[in-house]
Amino acid sequence: MSAVESRGAAAAGSDCVIVNDIEIMFGGQAGDGSLTTGDLIAGVFKRMGLEVYTYKDFPSRIRGGHTNYVIRAGEHANYGTADFVDGLIAFDVEAVETHVHELRPGGFVVFDSSSETLPDGVKRDDITWYLVPIGKIAKEEIGLELVRNTVSLGVLARLIGMDPAIVRADVAKVYGRKGERVVDLNLRAIEAGETYVDQHFAEWPSGYGLQGRPDVDRLIMMGNDAIGYGALAAGCRFMAGYPITPATDVLEFMAKFLPRYGGVAIQAEDELAAINMVIGAAFTGVRSMTATSGPGQALMTEAIGLAGVLEIPIVVVECARTGPSTGMPTKTEQSNLNHLIFGGHGEIPKIVLAPGTVEDSFYLSAAAFDLAERYQCPVFVLTEQALCQSKATLPRLDLGRVSVDRGKLVTEPVVFGEYKRFAFTDDGVSPRVTPGLEGGMHLAAGSEHGEAGVITENPKNRARMMEKRMRKLESALAHVPPPLVHGDAKADVAIFGYGANRGPIVEAQRRLAAEGVPTRFLELRTLWPFPEEEVRAFVAGTRAVFVVENNYTGQLDRLVRYVVGPLERMHRVLKYDGRPFRPIEIVEPIRRAAPARGLAEV
Amino acid sequence: MTTTMTPKDFATATPSWWCPGCGDYGVLSALKAALAELGKQPKDVAFVSGIGCSGKISGYLHSYAFHGVHGRALPVATAVKLANRDLTVIAAGGDGDGYAIGAGHFLHAVRRNPKMAYVVMDNQTYGLTKGQSSPTSQTGYITGTSPQGNPDAPINGLAVALAAGGTFLARGFSANPKHLVGLMKEAVEHDGFAIVEVMSPCVTYNKINTYAWFKQNVYYLDDGYDATDRVRAFEALTAEGKIPLGVIYREQRPTLETLTHLGATPIVDLRLDPQLRELVAIQDAYA
Ligand SMILES: Cc1ncc(C[n+]2csc(CCOP(=O)(O)OP(=O)(O)O)c2C)c(N)n1
Ligand code: SF4
Ligand SMILES: [Mg+2]
Repeated sequence: MSAVESRGAAAAGSDCVIVNDIEIMFGGQAGDGSLTTGDLIAGVFKRMGLEVYTYKDFPSRIRGGHTNYVIRAGEHANYGTADFVDGLIAFDVEAVETHVHELRPGGFVVFDSSSETLPDGVKRDDITWYLVPIGKIAKEEIGLELVRNTVSLGVLARLIGMDPAIVRADVAKVYGRKGERVVDLNLRAIEAGETYVDQHFAEWPSGYGLQGRPDVDRLIMMGNDAIGYGALAAGCRFMAGYPITPATDVLEFMAKFLPRYGGVAIQAEDELAAINMVIGAAFTGVRSMTATSGPGQALMTEAIGLAGVLEIPIVVVECARTGPSTGMPTKTEQSNLNHLIFGGHGEIPKIVLAPGTVEDSFYLSAAAFDLAERYQCPVFVLTEQALCQSKATLPRLDLGRVSVDRGKLVTEPVVFGEYKRFAFTDDGVSPRVTPGLEGGMHLAAGSEHGEAGVITENPKNRARMMEKRMRKLESALAHVPPPLVHGDAKADVAIFGYGANRGPIVEAQRRLAAEGVPTRFLELRTLWPFPEEEVRAFVAGTRAVFVVENNYTGQLDRLVRYVVGPLERMHRVLKYDGRPFRPIEIVEPIRRAAPARGLAEV
Repeated sequence: MTTTMTPKDFATATPSWWCPGCGDYGVLSALKAALAELGKQPKDVAFVSGIGCSGKISGYLHSYAFHGVHGRALPVATAVKLANRDLTVIAAGGDGDGYAIGAGHFLHAVRRNPKMAYVVMDNQTYGLTKGQSSPTSQTGYITGTSPQGNPDAPINGLAVALAAGGTFLARGFSANPKHLVGLMKEAVEHDGFAIVEVMSPCVTYNKINTYAWFKQNVYYLDDGYDATDRVRAFEALTAEGKIPLGVIYREQRPTLETLTHLGATPIVDLRLDPQLRELVAIQDAYA
């Protein structure tokens, strides 16, 4: 009997093809443990010396509902998913039905045939189908259906040639906390999966094979953990937040670590409380942050204006998800940019940073605290579900690159009556005191105030105070994280993008370049103050400009247009279905526009 | 250093904005006197107020004063305390600020029990927005936004706080400053969240709950009253008829600072060093 019902054309006949880029998807019902197994696979790939990126696409519920976990591994660090899935491990028919069209021709599906049979309609004949009674093996051979994920890992390991020693070592490590018995069960589960493949399928049946490299000392970390870690390193000692997907991880990270460093993390009653707490702690002199997502950001908006007018340094992490309203809470989007930059009544200076990788999430999160204190204003760290809840391999983080510059914080007593908290200065930043300091008593009022803090509606003072506060943005401009240029800086196709889209854009660039369409990509890491000079310079000499973003209205595109004027050669590449870009979705629109404009021979 | 402080040491040069006769004057002078009698230094007092006529009070108390957004004085003050537990933290605001827009925070501050005093300046109306009904206005109270009479039942803030686990509940009257000073002192000294609700008449808009009305409708709890008896306190707070003044309830319960395991060194005084060995070691769990 052979469970291989059909062999994909690409795999048929060939023995083992060593691929250096593979994307595995685990699909099943939420809560069935596939996340742990996904993490395990990612860990094994890492230890095989490969670059890893994971992406979780899970429903907004705890148990049930289709969920999938994508693990991509290869020689290049790809911060994003590929065009196609190479191998799908499907625990139910729904997983097959939902994702079969995403498979690469020549790819494979492992289907748990224990209780369901595949309807004929879904079976593409250009992929290989492995029907494995995974659940049954778990139940009958190991005596515990729960370990079916681990059995599937054994199956996969054999199919694609994962290093068996590393697989075992990682299983032992991951389940080690649960005791010897659990480790033993899972090791047996691996073995059972491997044996099944050996007994039923030819060697290297999938046609995929991964070649490991010596692992170097690296990390595998989720974006949200990198943000928390950056904050901790930068001396953040107070956090208040209200649970919301996909930002909760940051509060969990800080709740775990802050007490060890003398700090405190508070789960507030709502986001109104959270942001006001952050303001209170920052007013008192402690580096403070919150983390939220769209709905919470909306609630925080009034108080962020207060922080602006009171010139209080706060850091607000926005882990963007789809809106409006509840939207799709566990899905990604970039529709909050306008809100962060323009949200709020009245005008305040603010800084918006956007990391493009997990590594950059750490460094920008840390940098946010220095910027907040130097310019005494709210600093946002804007990330998206596709990055902040994804894990990636990265070099060890260098804490030597983290500074603690507290700006114009006054620590020596001042003379009451002479000291002015909101003194007019050339750079707009006034010396800042905190409660307890001799002589610095003053009123910090959200009402317009004079230099000493006394409330006044004097028109001359109002104008000067506005100018003073807004001047801080100009002062900050030269010191905010600069944009990065990827690709061929002289190419006549320009791309703009930020955040989670860095990965798919860079990958699209590589492919376009191979096709003879070189491109230049400006990755904006500071979105406000908007880097007008760099943006203007970047479009000079181009013949086509593409703005790539995950929203409907082209929020970044409008910012770019505002600077460069209405260019006929500008194109929007938009995606707003809640899923991150696959590279092909960027390659194609550029490829389409390129020959039409005579940019290159394709 | 034992300098004797006087209420004047807590005065600012800012001219008052309140209408002549406003109850809030009494609250301010009682606070200044209490702080002076307790020997507090202005530099060590963080005073956080809400928005309203009442919220203006932070401009008139010489201290590190904070006048934020409507309804959010308590989260700000709670965090100030956590950030620097050595400070004397006081929050103040109106009945609307505390029991309407800020009602959620009120309940949760009571639950958390940070060591700070909270003064609710209750005039049973919205003074600053010109006399609409507030959560403590009587049913039937006629205003521009309730021309047919306020349809809502008044909230009993202290009874709500008692139910939520309040550890210090007191009520005073701004026309009896001596009594009020005593309450304020006890509140500031209380090791937990201390609420002082002050009947603070709005002479401009509230023509019902006037000084004369209060004089007829309040009574002082006497020495025989046991403020540690929760059931008695609930009776006193909810009984029909006259309004009790004095310390209505007190108990000891661990503070937020204790339960969040704050060290003796205020967070604000911690040394920040990105190169701490333990900090670097966090990465090992991700390797
Ligand atoms: C978010 C918001 N909504 C509304 C207002 C307008 N507003 C200012 S004070 C106030 C009511 C104040 O009533 P209360 O707290 O009882 O203070 P009082 O003026 O009576 O002392 C309102 C509604 C505001 N400032 N902010
Ligand atoms: S309007 Fe009422 S509450 Fe406001 S200052 Fe005047 S008397 Fe006081
Ligand atoms: Mg009022």
